[in-house]
Amino acid sequence: MNLIVLLKMVPDTVEELNVASDGKSLDSEYLRFKLNDPDEHALEEALLLKERVGGKVTVVALDAPEVDDVLFMALAKGADRAVKIPADQASLGTVATARMFATFLASGGGQITPDTLVLPGSQAIDDLEGEVAAYLGEALSLPYVGVVSSVSPVNGKVVVLKEFSGGMRGEYEVTLPAVLGIQSAEKPPRYVPVAKVRAVMKSAKIETADIAPPELAKALVVERMYKPEAAGRAQMLEGTPEDIAARIAGLLTERGII
Amino acid sequence: MDPIRISVYGLPGVGVLWFLTLVAFGVFGWRAWQLIGLLRRGRHENRFDQIGRRTWHAVKNVLLQPRIFGEQSIGLAHFLTFWGFMVYATCFNWALLRGLFPMLPIPYPDEVKVAVLFLEVFSVLVLVSLAAALARRLFYAPPHLHLSFDANFILALIALLMLTMLFGSAFRNVAEGSRGTAWAPFGSLLAPAFAGLTPVTARAWATAMWWLHMIIVLGFFVYLPYSKHLHLLAAPFNVFFSGAVTRPLGDLTVPGAQEDMASGASRWEELTWKQLLSGFSCAECGRCDRACPATASGYPLEPQQIIQKIKTHAMQQGLARTRDASGNGTPKLIGDVITESELWACTTCMACMTRCAVWNEQIPIIVTLRRQLVSQGAVERTVQDMLANLTRYGNSFGKSDRMRARWVQSSGLKIKDARKEPVEYLWFVGDYASYDPRCEEVTRKTARIFAQAGLDFGLLYEAERNAGNDVRRVGEEGLFEMLKEKNLQALAKAQYRAIVTTDPHTFNTLKNEYPWNGNRVPVKHYTEVLDELLQAGRVPLKKKLTGRVTYHDPCYLGRYNGIYDSPRRVLRALGLEIVEMPRTRDRSYCCGAGGGRIWMEDKEKLPERPAENRIREAAALGDVPTFVVACPKDIAMFRDALKTTGTEGRIAVRDIAELVADAMEG
Repeated sequence: MNLIVLLKMVPDTVEELNVASDGKSLDSEYLRFKLNDPDEHALEEALLLKERVGGKVTVVALDAPEVDDVLFMALAKGADRAVKIPADQASLGTVATARMFATFLASGGGQITPDTLVLPGSQAIDDLEGEVAAYLGEALSLPYVGVVSSVSPVNGKVVVLKEFSGGMRGEYEVTLPAVLGIQSAEKPPRYVPVAKVRAVMKSAKIETADIAPPELAKALVVERMYKPEAAGRAQMLEGTPEDIAARIAGLLTERGII
Repeated sequence: MDPIRISVYGLPGVGVLWFLTLVAFGVFGWRAWQLIGLLRRGRHENRFDQIGRRTWHAVKNVLLQPRIFGEQSIGLAHFLTFWGFMVYATCFNWALLRGLFPMLPIPYPDEVKVAVLFLEVFSVLVLVSLAAALARRLFYAPPHLHLSFDANFILALIALLMLTMLFGSAFRNVAEGSRGTAWAPFGSLLAPAFAGLTPVTARAWATAMWWLHMIIVLGFFVYLPYSKHLHLLAAPFNVFFSGAVTRPLGDLTVPGAQEDMASGASRWEELTWKQLLSGFSCAECGRCDRACPATASGYPLEPQQIIQKIKTHAMQQGLARTRDASGNGTPKLIGDVITESELWACTTCMACMTRCAVWNEQIPIIVTLRRQLVSQGAVERTVQDMLANLTRYGNSFGKSDRMRARWVQSSGLKIKDARKEPVEYLWFVGDYASYDPRCEEVTRKTARIFAQAGLDFGLLYEAERNAGNDVRRVGEEGLFEMLKEKNLQALAKAQYRAIVTTDPHTFNTLKNEYPWNGNRVPVKHYTEVLDELLQAGRVPLKKKLTGRVTYHDPCYLGRYNGIYDSPRRVLRALGLEIVEMPRTRDRSYCCGAGGGRIWMEDKEKLPERPAENRIREAAALGDVPTFVVACPKDIAMFRDALKTTGTEGRIAVRDIAELVADAMEG
């Protein structure tokens, strides 16, 4: 299988996030970036598929702080190829990002073979729309399924499990090549020891693929960025745990919830 | 009377003796060669440094056996058996030499009065010791003692040797006219029982006893390297090569390693030769198992089994006549021979290693095998998260490094930044004392004590990283190296004359595992600094504390680094009365947090966790309401244990710094 995983760097929420003085972006002073969680799962799913049916895993990312570390980590975990597209991830909107990846994949950098699966993470914490994968499917004219939590190859196709809200799940048969937005891998992402990452840093190389950004980099413009404002509708209950429990039960009954 | 002047079916006695000796030495030599060849297939490790110190260490521990005396019931008995053996081995060789070379102008040992007296007295002492050993095995066997056929067979052989010696003496006595002599007291005592024998018959019996004795010894010699009594031969070397002689106990570096040790061992050949020698030296006495808190709590770990399983596995694989070239059916070292859960159960508390009578090194073996698991990514979820946190943020709490010194803000103190201005003491606070909400207040109190005592100290602030002690013991050697490098970079930018740490684990690794490259500074634990400040009268105490307290020696402070007295002096200086728990100082009982255990979840259903066991021990002291600790992880572990044992109202877990702070308040 030809497995292509798209990786995105997102702000690390362990560090305190502040709005910059322009009121439209994050303050970069203490900002650190880490790999988007679903993308880490997409990588894990690709590695699991490779272990199961063989194939090659390629990881691709746009340029962002700390992205090299992440690409080396992916190689250490078992990816065969790591490609960085030297275009600033932050300057590109969702559609432009999808176009970049589409150009990369169509330009021979990523070669869409009949057994190709393109695996982006389903969503990113700084972009909960989850549209990149869908746009990418559209741009490449490939089938697309999002919020996927399991992928099983069956007779040259894949059977995927898609999650819906309310605990519902759907099973789909998808023909290859295809784009699958991965929500979670079948197993938690594996641990790769530091020594292995360091060894890979010495022996492996990250390829670069120059792709010209599309003319319209961002279709949407940020007007204002701000921290959630307290709406003041919260009601604080005080007293002993028993009192509070009784009040909660009362309130829930009063509003017809129980 | 010369026992070799006999003929066996026409063969002269001396020929028979030569034949038996050559066979015995041949078999023995072949086996020894085989075993040494097995060791040579292990990885290289340099244990040949400081030969003088090693020799002295071996002489002291082999000849005087201080660790054997650690257990009263068998200490003296083993000591006497050992010395009996030594005397006998000497006399046997003497007799053998005389027998093989009849032309030598020397008498047999049993013709020398002093030797006979010595032999007789010792044979009786050995028989008494064997009776004690037998009684121990039959009537009050400790639960972990292996009641194997092997052990009983050897004890029976030794007994037989003693009896042939004593009866030989008795028969000689009869043959020579039954004149009792003080030089052969026990032979003389037995002689009257055989007074009816003619001198010729008695002489024949004495000769028979001599031959029986020689044949048993030669047989013993052949049997030895095939039995657990191989420890007789291997242990002196094992003690000689023990790591603790020339290096700190708390350093996991393999001296002179030629291979990359970071990914541990997946096959027995990837263990070092010294680690393989451990198995040959193990006498299966079970001291380690009896000391192990994991074993006591019912975790699937017995340190002795780790050693024994590796020995059995290496012998089966290494000495097998036909090797399965395909590798199919070969049991895997980790998984088949030793399970993952055994390896993860170890708290690295050092109790096994400080008890082992042959100075085996169980913990480095366990860590070597853990490294293999880590290199395969076979790490449980919680540990994996911790390691990922440590890799990214430099602390196990997964918090921003800028939050590391947040406790300073609410301390009301201005604490120097050691990277910006010179300080006398660089305080390496450590993760738990910095980030754990349960420990923050103690950290602030410690800071105020230091400040009020006028100690010139500073922090590395956000540049400090986890020192890596537990990371290394989990088996993540690469991450340990990374943390060490980052800390050394930060330390290189700071100006300080000494380091003080809160966490004994941090203390251990900074002191023993960081390469200071000639710029070594003193590394102290805060209890040592508190002790010095109190002794110098620099701590402004406002009142004497009263009351009875008990003190828990942290593994990494006590057993690992031998610091027992500083914390006790601090407590006494405050006016407190220390009531020791039964297991104290180097016998202290682990809280269960070490070696990365604090990051793991118990999958087993356990009757009692180590910390609970320890709290109950303190509760059993009676009227001792304060349980004093000197390790931030102990605060976490023991306060939990108070809740789960229902002793919360009766005992309070206090850090030693909190007590000092109490005494400073008016």
